[in-house]
Amino acid sequence: MTFRQARWDEPPLWELAPPKAATTNGPAIALPGVPDRWLRKTALRWPELSEPEIARHYTRLSQMNFGIETSAYPLGSCTMKYNPKVSEMLARRPGAADVHPYQPESTVQGSLEIIYRLEKLLAKVTGLREVSLQPAAGAHGEYAALLMVRAYFQDQGKLGQRTEVLLPDTAHGTNPASAAMAGFTTREIPSKNGCVDLGMLKEAISERTACFMLTNPNTAGLFESDIMSIARTVHDAGAMLYYDGANLNAIMGVSSPGRMGFDVAHLNLHKTFATPHGGGGPGAGALGAGEELAPYLPVPRVAKDKRRYYLDYQRPKSIGKIKTGYGNFGLDLRAYVYILSHGEEGLAHVSRRAVLNSNYLADRLGKFLPRPFGKLVKHEFVLSGARLKKEGVRTLDLAKRLLDEGVHAPTVYFPSLVEESLMIEFPETESRRELDAFVEAFDRAIHDTPQHLREAPKNLSVGRVDEVRAARELQLSWKDLRAAAVPPPPAARPATTPPPP
Amino acid sequence: MLRSLGLPSFDALFDDIPKGVRVARMGIGPGRTEPEVVADVDKILARNKPVSRFSNFLGGRISSRYLPAIVDALISRSEFLTSYTPYQPEASQGMLQALFEFQSLWVELSGLDVANASLYDGATAAGEAMLLCRRIHLGDRFLVPASLPWEEKSVLGNYGVGLGLKVAEIPFDPSTGRLDLEWVDREVRRGDVFGVLADVPNGFGLVDERVLDLKSTIGTVPLVVSADPLALTVLQPPGEYGADIVVGEGQGFGMALSFGGPLLGLMACRREHVRFLPGRLVGATQDVNGRRAYTLTLQTREQHIRRSRATSNICTNQSLVALAFVLYASSVGPTRLARLQADLAEKARALATALDGIEGLKVPRFTAPFLGEFTMELAQGNAVGFLDRMLAKGVLAGHSLSDPRRAVKSGPELVHVAPSQAANTADIRKYVKAAREALVPGPMGSA
Repeated sequence: MTFRQARWDEPPLWELAPPKAATTNGPAIALPGVPDRWLRKTALRWPELSEPEIARHYTRLSQMNFGIETSAYPLGSCTMKYNPKVSEMLARRPGAADVHPYQPESTVQGSLEIIYRLEKLLAKVTGLREVSLQPAAGAHGEYAALLMVRAYFQDQGKLGQRTEVLLPDTAHGTNPASAAMAGFTTREIPSKNGCVDLGMLKEAISERTACFMLTNPNTAGLFESDIMSIARTVHDAGAMLYYDGANLNAIMGVSSPGRMGFDVAHLNLHKTFATPHGGGGPGAGALGAGEELAPYLPVPRVAKDKRRYYLDYQRPKSIGKIKTGYGNFGLDLRAYVYILSHGEEGLAHVSRRAVLNSNYLADRLGKFLPRPFGKLVKHEFVLSGARLKKEGVRTLDLAKRLLDEGVHAPTVYFPSLVEESLMIEFPETESRRELDAFVEAFDRAIHDTPQHLREAPKNLSVGRVDEVRAARELQLSWKDLRAAAVPPPPAARPATTPPPP
Repeated sequence: MLRSLGLPSFDALFDDIPKGVRVARMGIGPGRTEPEVVADVDKILARNKPVSRFSNFLGGRISSRYLPAIVDALISRSEFLTSYTPYQPEASQGMLQALFEFQSLWVELSGLDVANASLYDGATAAGEAMLLCRRIHLGDRFLVPASLPWEEKSVLGNYGVGLGLKVAEIPFDPSTGRLDLEWVDREVRRGDVFGVLADVPNGFGLVDERVLDLKSTIGTVPLVVSADPLALTVLQPPGEYGADIVVGEGQGFGMALSFGGPLLGLMACRREHVRFLPGRLVGATQDVNGRRAYTLTLQTREQHIRRSRATSNICTNQSLVALAFVLYASSVGPTRLARLQADLAEKARALATALDGIEGLKVPRFTAPFLGEFTMELAQGNAVGFLDRMLAKGVLAGHSLSDPRRAVKSGPELVHVAPSQAANTADIRKYVKAAREALVPGPMGSA
């Protein structure tokens, strides 16, 4: 059966109902007491649309988008698992959705209790002393953590000396970017066989090192088995050890950041704890800290006094605030529901199943493309598409060809230490049938002709998108389209696939 | 599956994890069935009192608005809700087009050239705007109104600390609440100011005419305006009075209160600064067949390519909230949006007028014009106590503008008041009656 995505010629909103030409006959609306020079000379230029027009427009757009409910989404390091419906239902309850963050504490005891309980649960999962839910996303948690490390060394009078953050070359791009924003210089430690080269780390680490940032299992899908020596090396040098929790889905119930010796960690609740990714966000980036760094967590902390929950601002060492409010509460609630549903054994089984899926798939796909690190993997693994280059085929072509099979492509060209890499993660919510179907799709794709691969995709709403042209011409809004006065799109054709009933 | 791998048990999958870092158990209790979980969560949520139970006058950057049903219905479509960042444009045209529409709307509202595809919230957007200013102008001091909400000052401090940037506060006229432009002029002449931020409405709810003259005071120093999107449906787009960057909090357009998260960071800049812009950008282009298509563009600014030299560390943003934003604005429509802002302004005016003259209250505290929110000062007692007494009478009367981190309580007790969309004439009457009683210390007044 061939996959076909809906192909609507759906114009942007302003072409559906072109707004009337702007008039300049004085202010659009009068506001008593507000001087005229404050007011808009012309009304906002935006279309007036009916509800059915809007419903149809966005329904059509949605049909031109892959989601976890249309297909498997094996993006490595992204942990695209199914998002349970019960979490969605509960997050929309008026008791959750219609509560303002500035209400008096006595009226928000429920929200505070959810935050308090989830922080305690995540502290147990991570083996760290305290958790804050304030960061909006993983990278935001990284940034907050590095500010905490900064503040810690400032208190020790060592900030002038500890100016460097070390990280392995397999690190997510957010790690060096967060370190730079926090005012540290960064140095990458080369990997050996996909893992941290302990010798190189020992050579690089010094009294200048503030922090070593590590993802474990790392982005090559390997568990850093030297973790105890790594932790000792970092702590002997007087530095802090940071855990990037993007890959926590592999180790719940088996190990934990705290047990491995990490001082501070962020978790992506939108990965491991199944909150929906929303087309790129919102996420939630819980931040855990051990004994030394916990006093530096953002305020307020949610605290409990007998039976009353309250917001505790009296944390003199705290770095302060990193966003408005107390975090992405709507996502926190979903993560709480997920943990409550799974419990101890359920979470441990999530990790077992995710790692099993990954090893099963690595074993089967290893027959098509080499696995640069031929050992036991955790929740994800890496293949190299380098040999396809001889036939003039790039990993990108293979990724696009996979889309034609109705499955999302893996992460490509990361980690960069593997040439033409594909990074594949099939979380525990994917059944063996999905895995086998992916193997078959992969088989068809990789054995297709080089020309077909380079011309893919054919079955989606658009063909290969010209990204070079996008960067060169930079049409970033309706305003740019107006300026360029681009010709209107071709006359509407019937969709090649009727929308589902 | 284990058998096909030749593994005896699940344990063998974890042979690479040393005994020394194993955990026996996490200690989080057994899993529960769906009805048990629902019952547990509902029991906890029942301890919340949603805003609908009160006469609601809570605002600030986070607004209590009616959400048209269509907004949640469409953002709940799983193709949007459960998709990842659109790294493969061919598989993600729907989300990409929606984000392009979102960017277009913020360009129209801000009066600038380029908007990104969202940041975390208004406060972090202001932080990122400060860093953008530093990329286009030298200096180490960033000026913000002293009236800026304390949360935003704290976030700005945290976004600047790594680069050694200092946030300095622009004083305001104690009577009008207006920015002291002479002070700004003096400070800018020292040559170490790399950017100036002004908010519309400001932390006191004022629309301060001085903001319109700010750019001519600071010249080539970049101007950041942090603006409420609803206010921009009636007020001049900041791009027209010299703003170089426009940021804002977008929650009020389509997102539930949800105890303050998720929110939406809005950001736009001038075309010449697009390569310094943080966050994702969607561009229009074509596919190989010349068909209109959309894709993420200028990704070389971003962390996954540029690593430590990226314009920001941001990866996950607020895409779905951005979709809600454009959905909300489109379903309400430009005419009714402007009308809504005018109605809220009328309610705020009616309440302020009715409260004026009550002993112990100075309403509004400042004489500069305001839209849908204002600030009042209590002559005696503290704001938190007043708000608690108002609560006892069924009124969410606003929020205190004091920084709760301060160890010693001192300074004026200011309350920020913003009638919600749901507040009607009866609620306003109720507020006035309750305020008279709450201000009289008595047996009920000790809360």
